[in-house]
Amino acid sequence: MTTSSGPWSDCMPASLAAREILCVVNVREKSHQTRPNQTNKMDPSEVEFLAEKETVKIIPNFSLDKIFLIGGDLGPFNPGLPVDVPVWLALNLKQRQKCRIVPPEWMEVEKLEDIREQERKEKTFTPVPSPYYMELTKLLLNHASDNIPKADEIRTLVKDIWDTRIAKLRLSTDSFISQQEAHAKLDNLTLMEINTIRAFFLDSLNCMYKLRSNLQPGSSQGQFMDY
Amino acid sequence: MNMQSYFPVPPGVGMEENFLSLDDILLSHERLPVRSDCAFPRLGFLEKSADTQDIAEGTKMELPLWLTKGLYEKKRKVVSVELPKVYREGWRTVFNADPNVVDLHKMGPYYYSLGSQLLHFDSPENPDIAQTLLQTFIGRFRRTMDSSQNAYNEDTSAVVERLDSLEKGASCLM
Repeated sequence: MTTSSGPWSDCMPASLAAREILCVVNVREKSHQTRPNQTNKMDPSEVEFLAEKETVKIIPNFSLDKIFLIGGDLGPFNPGLPVDVPVWLALNLKQRQKCRIVPPEWMEVEKLEDIREQERKEKTFTPVPSPYYMELTKLLLNHASDNIPKADEIRTLVKDIWDTRIAKLRLSTDSFISQQEAHAKLDNLTLMEINTIRAFFLDSLNCMYKLRSNLQPGSSQGQFMDY
Repeated sequence: MNMQSYFPVPPGVGMEENFLSLDDILLSHERLPVRSDCAFPRLGFLEKSADTQDIAEGTKMELPLWLTKGLYEKKRKVVSVELPKVYREGWRTVFNADPNVVDLHKMGPYYYSLGSQLLHFDSPENPDIAQTLLQTFIGRFRRTMDSSQNAYNEDTSAVVERLDSLEKGASCLM
């Protein structure tokens, strides 16, 4: 997995590092009376927004001097010379027909087929080509499919990889709950996958905690409220 | 990103109820079979089945949960609560055998919450009831999770109909 070494890597918030290791501690140890205005959901569009910070190579057809943005500098643009830019800029330039997008090196039929076979063989999660593979595939294939060879096959392959990983995730959450384990560690999960189960899983763990506290009489024996 | 200005109070699961939660308010309307342990003079009009002036000792009635919780006291025997059908031995074995088969919506849409409230009333079967509640929830977890993520790729309304209101809230399948 390549990590970008440009100026953009400094803006990664610490919370995104959690995508690599998901440690789910039994909610018993935390206070979890969810207050009404605290939602435990993250919108998929927010995940996509975070994915747009990844860099991708483009070949512009205009020229521009180096521009200095808050997040970092974007190198001088010369027609015909490849330059690394964040995805949000790449998509914007592509829509204005000012550049050509070069697909990332993992976005190839053979590589994705290998990843898919490995994912199906292993029982745990294999390392992903990019921490935002799902979003990048969708964005790049929607806006720049003419620059990417064999776009449909790539779409199918990525969907297969996604389905396999989600099935493994569901299996592991099911065994976590049914055996009432206290701690789980899942490596190589991406933020989008975590997001699919986040809300339901946390709510269920809350409910399980409260139902389990019924088993201990006296610890939660409250007074009757005076209505 | 939730920009709503109205945040509904969630139901309190477990032995507490949230005072402001609509689900808990509706829950407290559920009726429990109750036996009165002392006479209630001049309250005969509450008991529709018999036309007596007083409610004699030992009358079996159905009272809502809010009234029962208010009247129940361990030391002074005012009322004694019997378990509703769904929480008794027979149904408990059904739940332990296969929780997925049961239609929890029909059993009273507030199966888990009412069961937790029943634990206030010091029945000798309390630990078994609590254990059954937990095991039922765990047993049904897989089905509920799959249907909330549209994993079945088919119409899930038949599954949703059979869910308790707690499960519906967690999976946002309301």
